[in-house]
Amino acid sequence: MASRYDVIVIGGGHNGLVNAAYLARAGRKVLVLEKRYVLGGAAVTEEIFPGFQFSVCSYVVSLLRPEIIRDLDLPRHGLEILPLDGTFTPMLEGQYLWRVNDHAKTRRAIAQHSRVDAEAYDEFGKAMLAMCHFVKPLLAMVPPDPTSLDPRDLKKLLFLGKRFQSLPAEDKYNLVQLMTMSAADFLDQWFETDVLKATMSASGIIGTFLGVRSPGTAYVLLHHYMGEIDGAFRAWGFSRGGTGAISNAIASAAREAGVEIRTQAPVAKILVKEGRATGVVLESGEEIKAGSVSSSVDPNLTFLKLMEPSELPGEFVEEVRRYKYRGSSGKVNLALDALPNFTCLPGPGAHLRGAMSISPSLEYMERAYDDAKYGDFSRRPYIDIVIPSLTDPSVAPPGKHVLSCFVQYAPYKLREGNWDQKREAFGDAVIDTLAQYAPNIKEIIIGRQVLTPLDIERLVGLTEGNIFQGELSLEQLFFLRPVAGWARYRTPVRNLYMCGSATHPGGGIMGAPGRLAAVEMLKDGSGKSN
Amino acid sequence: MAKKDNVVIVGAGLNGLVTAYYLARAGFKPIVLERRPIVGGVAVTEEFHPGFRASTIAHTAGPLLPVIAREMKLEQFGFQLIEPDVRIFAPAPDGRSIVLYNDPAKSAQSIAKFSTRDAGKFLEFESVLGRITQFLSQLITLTPPDIENPSSADLFRLFKVGRNFRGLGKKDMQRLLRWGPMAVADFAAEWFESELLRAMISSRAIFGTATGPWSPGTTAVLLLRAAAESHYAGVASIPRGGMGGLTQAMAAVAQKAGAQIRTRAEVAQITVKGGAVTGVVLAGGEEISARAVISNADPKRTFLKLLDPVTLEPSFLAKVQHYRSTGAVAKINLALSGPPQFKALQGASNGTLSGRIHIGPEIDYIERAFDASKYGEFSRRPSLEITIPSLADPSLAPAGQHVMSIFAHYAPYHLKSGDWDSHREALSDAVVETLEEYVPDLASLLLDGEVLTPKDLETNYGLTGGHIFHGEPALDQLFTMRPL
Repeated sequence: MASRYDVIVIGGGHNGLVNAAYLARAGRKVLVLEKRYVLGGAAVTEEIFPGFQFSVCSYVVSLLRPEIIRDLDLPRHGLEILPLDGTFTPMLEGQYLWRVNDHAKTRRAIAQHSRVDAEAYDEFGKAMLAMCHFVKPLLAMVPPDPTSLDPRDLKKLLFLGKRFQSLPAEDKYNLVQLMTMSAADFLDQWFETDVLKATMSASGIIGTFLGVRSPGTAYVLLHHYMGEIDGAFRAWGFSRGGTGAISNAIASAAREAGVEIRTQAPVAKILVKEGRATGVVLESGEEIKAGSVSSSVDPNLTFLKLMEPSELPGEFVEEVRRYKYRGSSGKVNLALDALPNFTCLPGPGAHLRGAMSISPSLEYMERAYDDAKYGDFSRRPYIDIVIPSLTDPSVAPPGKHVLSCFVQYAPYKLREGNWDQKREAFGDAVIDTLAQYAPNIKEIIIGRQVLTPLDIERLVGLTEGNIFQGELSLEQLFFLRPVAGWARYRTPVRNLYMCGSATHPGGGIMGAPGRLAAVEMLKDGSGKSN
Repeated sequence: MAKKDNVVIVGAGLNGLVTAYYLARAGFKPIVLERRPIVGGVAVTEEFHPGFRASTIAHTAGPLLPVIAREMKLEQFGFQLIEPDVRIFAPAPDGRSIVLYNDPAKSAQSIAKFSTRDAGKFLEFESVLGRITQFLSQLITLTPPDIENPSSADLFRLFKVGRNFRGLGKKDMQRLLRWGPMAVADFAAEWFESELLRAMISSRAIFGTATGPWSPGTTAVLLLRAAAESHYAGVASIPRGGMGGLTQAMAAVAQKAGAQIRTRAEVAQITVKGGAVTGVVLAGGEEISARAVISNADPKRTFLKLLDPVTLEPSFLAKVQHYRSTGAVAKINLALSGPPQFKALQGASNGTLSGRIHIGPEIDYIERAFDASKYGEFSRRPSLEITIPSLADPSLAPAGQHVMSIFAHYAPYHLKSGDWDSHREALSDAVVETLEEYVPDLASLLLDGEVLTPKDLETNYGLTGGHIFHGEPALDQLFTMRPL
């Protein structure tokens, strides 16, 4: 019996939408089911206070794969990336570090702290660029299985080995270090200025339950370095209209290709018959049949909530349970009456247009982690701040602003109490920390939204509030993501696929998992109704 | 004095002595030059209080490769290994304890007092780790391939390793790949629910390192050590006469094979001419020419102190400078007037104390101890690894009296305030106070003690940064990346 749909995609986040768009472009009839009233998952714009548009969860863009932008012609569908220029790190003693995209300026800024570091900064940039060029193809590659003897896997492994061998000796050395060292140790080799190392190391810990001194964080540093806009590495930007506009652009491209999208359609169960996915049941009870099911939600939801353990091999279920989420970050979104005024650089300068980073020293960063290790939120957290309304005035009423704080650490599992009791205390810790650097902050807040990892889980369904659908730690990357032996978007259930950030190459608004999953599904001939 | 087949070995540590033996056997004329009055490096037995002798630093015959002991025929030169039945005794402050024996079934019984589930898992754990460490042990006896230009022999060896890797079977291969980068705290928690057991297993991974149980990559260290020692819980074997018993025998074997060993002969400089080594100059000014110099000293000492930096390429030099070798462990040797009474044993020790004793009842306890070291402080409540060698080897102390040998984690080389001379006593107090929770009568038994801070390990034993393993065994500093 022919189904109405070739493929049902569970979840209308950016990966689900990318997956759907690619499948539809290949002629499949696709239905996307989204639980919420709005599309985008964690890449969503919402009006939290009247007139103020917030990129509620994910707030900057850089990793979105250029081939996806091209293939889906996203600019035509409304995608517009506005550059986010520079990172400003205020310090308490009246000093600051301000790095901008203008290389000469940044060098001068660093030279004020250390001349040696200003020299090293150039070399570092070149070395990271070389690493990015090596790692980039991996992002567009379906991971090979090193435990398999399949010639296709061996060919890929050989390809990786050859590429590695062809690197200059220095780059090989750097690469092995990047894969294994801590961000702090890695940066210690290059620089002496504490605040510079601290701010740079921050990208090594985002989305992990690790500190800047934890081995393996150097890789995450690279993961964030790979951001690319219009061919320029390490460029970050805002999407006009907030990150939700990215999701909307992808949705528009998907619809144009024939994808049907239903919001407020939460899936209750994946239908499995004789080891084969046959469709889904909605919470409303409605049953929808399809040739294949592609899940963009995380493995915990896909396999442990939407399925019965008996439908899966016991060992697989065990591995899915082992997969680590451990959300470690929260968001504080503020509606502001005026702009914050930093003590170390007063007034409304260009420094407010970029990212502002509360990361004054490596010790500060590591102590923030120590709090979380024992089940507390950081009293003095690392905060990454942006004020998108300065670049894109459409997101706030005239003269007013939206300010978004990404805050780490806020562990999902608290040692004492629960997040419902501690939400406001967490929000206060963030505001108090900000007030140390920009004392006027408390007077200019007219609205405050605090999102704990628990809230992120409740709101967008990310298990334990992990923004990447699972920690980006070495044992959960590449051919180990999410489960060894099942890193190629397939699952033990035939015609059931994974296409979310819990698959290679992981999280961030990248879209690569959605695209690669579509490629694999099409290879299987899957999705073609019988 | 110039001899064409002279080979100079700098330092008569365990590795220097082994090298000397193999070279002498192959017909070279090795000259081992040792700065201190005795050979052995960190594997020495010294008197620290009249009548009390301790293995000053290393206290168990840890990863001594059996093949080396066999080939050197050490037993014929007085080397005897005492192998206790107990590997680890781990007491908790509440008076309970876990004992790991050589016999897994006996260990499982001990674990069952905490959790029957863990006791069941334990046997599976033993066999899985046995298989995986057997595979890994091949890597240890292998000269690491050159990462830049692997030779065809390298490739062949790697191919063999690859084939054996596949021989593990899919499940074990996946386990190995996934486990390596993990934090040992996660690894232990995947297997067991008893906190004391988790902490005990983790303690092996962090021993002698500047990492805590929550540091990623510590599982790899656990597995590699397990491969070297053929057991994840390590070896509790103690040479008769302490570690010096082992190195003295090695020196005797090496000398008999034709090696020359000179003590009180400190190498001040390795001389280089035209990019090639020509010999060494001793601190007294004596010059010894050699066709080759082999350094048993750590890389920083070798390349930054003994060699003139201009002889090295700047990029190589930079790598040496970045090699991480600041230690975070201190050694404390105590002279006791009687056998220590552990609360957890209620008087009846029955050999339980003759293996290694682990103090550090929870993962978070060890991690908090580690936290202090990150900020340049020593742990107020340290994690301890203890042996009481005099229980099995009465020759080390006067009759009825005992030597307690303690590794204390963590004591960072760089202190945030003050220096180690002004903190030595406080460190020793912290260790004794910690132990008193487990051995209430300790203070009344205490005759004397010797405290070796990382600074002392550097000054007295030549370990740069005071690192007992010549550098941090982190993933980026192992195998083909070790040292550089």
